[in-house]
Amino acid sequence: MSATTSGKKKTKPRATKSSRASLTSAAPRSALLQGTISAFILFHIVAIFCWAVPLSNPPILAVRQLIRPYMVWSGLFQSWDTFAPSPVSSNTFVKAIAMSQSGDVHVWGFPRMEQFSYSQRYREERYRKFAETLPAQTNSVLWPNVANKLAKSFDTPGDPTEKVMLLNFHADIVPGTPKGKEPTPSPDIFYQEYFLPEDSK
Amino acid sequence: MNLRNLGQAWNRFFFTPQSPTSLGLFRILYGICVTCTLLLLHFDWLNWFGVNGWVSLPAMQTVEPGMRINLFTVMPQDNHWITAFFWVFLAFALLLTAGLWTRFSSIIVFVCITSLHQRNLFINNGGDTFLRVAGFFLMFAPAGAALSLDRLIRIRRGLEGAVPPPIIPWAQRMIQLELAMVYLFSFWWKMKGNTWVHGTALYYVLNLHSLTRFPLPQWVQTPLAEKLGTWFTLAFECCMGILVWIRPLRYPMLLTGLFFHLCLEYALNIPMFQWDILAAYVLFIDPADLTRFWHFLRRTLIPRQKNPLPTTELSS
Repeated sequence: MSATTSGKKKTKPRATKSSRASLTSAAPRSALLQGTISAFILFHIVAIFCWAVPLSNPPILAVRQLIRPYMVWSGLFQSWDTFAPSPVSSNTFVKAIAMSQSGDVHVWGFPRMEQFSYSQRYREERYRKFAETLPAQTNSVLWPNVANKLAKSFDTPGDPTEKVMLLNFHADIVPGTPKGKEPTPSPDIFYQEYFLPEDSK
Repeated sequence: MNLRNLGQAWNRFFFTPQSPTSLGLFRILYGICVTCTLLLLHFDWLNWFGVNGWVSLPAMQTVEPGMRINLFTVMPQDNHWITAFFWVFLAFALLLTAGLWTRFSSIIVFVCITSLHQRNLFINNGGDTFLRVAGFFLMFAPAGAALSLDRLIRIRRGLEGAVPPPIIPWAQRMIQLELAMVYLFSFWWKMKGNTWVHGTALYYVLNLHSLTRFPLPQWVQTPLAEKLGTWFTLAFECCMGILVWIRPLRYPMLLTGLFFHLCLEYALNIPMFQWDILAAYVLFIDPADLTRFWHFLRRTLIPRQKNPLPTTELSS
């Protein structure tokens, strides 16, 4: 009895489940399904091409504008311009100066990869990317955020941070310069903000 | 080529059933890449994604407005939730690697990775972008059809035999096409810059102190070597995007690519980028070759005593 039952159990569901499984794999698809998938594929090839291609002629721009909401929503936006059109031609790093109400000065630098061990620099590399993009005028909306975070980190009870300055140091890479004789990095203050004592609360 | 032929070629390319082994291996490598990326981010998780992080959510939404897949906009803005997000994401990345609940895991991984990128776009590199875009198409692929716990369960239940059933590879093809576009567009972008054309670009790249990794031999830093390296990069990126589709040239191109990316991994400190890209190379390997390679590894790694040879072979 049990053998027969188990036999039935083995054969019947097997047929249905395997046919269901094959639908997701290599079963002959209906023309409608295949057509739908083909349309999906074609749309995505055209969309990704138009989005990422380094052209800015009117038709491409028009398509880009049309597909923008979908590309941005779906996370398919992309750009493949690493070190292009030309690599960055200067070494940069970002430092912050924080002054407290009593006049104490703190200098803090965003982690610099060249000062780390090999394993540390692999782990902290996101700071390199962040510090590289932070000083750009297009990212100015981030500056108050960064200054605020730094101000809070330097606050001490009874002596809150009064001012934070963000500085970008840069030194041009000059071909032919011998190692160790590179120009000294010069600073630019790209943001400064004053804080009131109540800001620290 | 008329429209009918084009349609047939299209169907052959996207819909001819094939073995799922390459896709299964890609899923494993993809899962490992996502897991490693997450573990590297773990040290500064709340600095990058926390409530009081370097970039606040409202600031990010000001820079990048519009509707986006971003779980951070719907979860409570509390560091406990954001930490929990990390562990959930990590758990599903591991499940995807193992191939358990593969389809569901791939969807969760894609939603999490996209949310992470949308939450802080300022720290992402090309490897992250590739993981996100490949993750999108991986959701549509039967990624658990081979080399997965899901398949093991199906075999245990008697639903599948020793050979995995073939799959329709359209989603796999999309990831392959994406990889080809990465190379072609990188080449195209570089051609717009004088330094690449003149052969000086590599000099600047190798002198970016924040990007350099292990020390390079002196001969690599001579003007001639830098020129050749710059032009080799251009030539490789252009050729890779095209020649990888031509069967007799595929493996030489993949090997050149492997060499190229390993050199970059040695010279430049861009975590995971090279591995994210190299993971997709397996999608170009013929599943039969992968199986042959697997048998070769087994033969090499398992000692002969445990795997006795047939009598005829022994006697000869």
